[in-house]
Amino acid sequence: MTGRCGVVVAHGHLADGLLSALARVAGEQNSLWALSNEGLAGADLEAQITSILAERCAGREAYLLSDMEGGSCGQACRRLLAKGTVKAVLYGVNLPLLVEFVFLQDEAFERFVSAAVEKGRRALGVHA
Amino acid sequence: MSVVLFRVDERLIHGQVVVGWARQLRPRRIIVVDDALAEDELEQSIYRTGIPEGIDADFWSGREAVRALPGVLKSSERAFVLTADLATMAQLTLEVEGIREVNVGCLHHGDGRRVLPYVRLDEGDERLIDEMSDRGVRVVARDVPSSSPTQLGAQARG
Repeated sequence: MTGRCGVVVAHGHLADGLLSALARVAGEQNSLWALSNEGLAGADLEAQITSILAERCAGREAYLLSDMEGGSCGQACRRLLAKGTVKAVLYGVNLPLLVEFVFLQDEAFERFVSAAVEKGRRALGVHA
Repeated sequence: MSVVLFRVDERLIHGQVVVGWARQLRPRRIIVVDDALAEDELEQSIYRTGIPEGIDADFWSGREAVRALPGVLKSSERAFVLTADLATMAQLTLEVEGIREVNVGCLHHGDGRRVLPYVRLDEGDERLIDEMSDRGVRVVARDVPSSSPTQLGAQARG
């Protein structure tokens, strides 16, 4: 296993936008790929995710990252987790979480997922 | 009427339903009518993750729905009733009194004619819609409340 790889699955243009922003702050990378659910339902969305994983993530530990826990994107990700296609599903993605995903590649699994999610959670707040 | 939305949507419980429609219509219960899903606890748990706090979910077979929906229609609790396909909803309109309007959301799947960006209908679908219309049920496509409604069926096609 050489590294980790994931597909960000989200509504509208969010996944593309997040990865575009990630490239600006972290540089170009080859561990995350984007997919929109636009026009894709159920089995078609799962098939598209599986195809990207096969094409881009072969030989690496595979992850899915969705915008919401529920919703069709999160549901498709959960189904693929249940089938054993991926190691884990991270949901509620934001830019700080994706930065950790890219930079924590060498950490052990538990530390990797908990640190990435915690970073994303702690990035929320308000100044007023 | 306490069922505030009857909706056909192949994605069932998803963003447009729990954000778009639920924020607008404030249901307390979402009832999914689907024979396969009623038997599948893993799938139910996946759909439940998308349901906001304060809303309960039920997964009923068509047979259970025919038996229990009349009570729901008479109750004061606000509910959504969702099916993944037109055939299941058409059967409900046939067997349950009091369904006056059916909302059509995402029907992307299949090779049917694309009538809206989010709706494809084949001949069987068109026939089911016409049957519902003939029974006095308005069938209206509208993905989210802020979209314009589009009436479906032979009458709408002229």
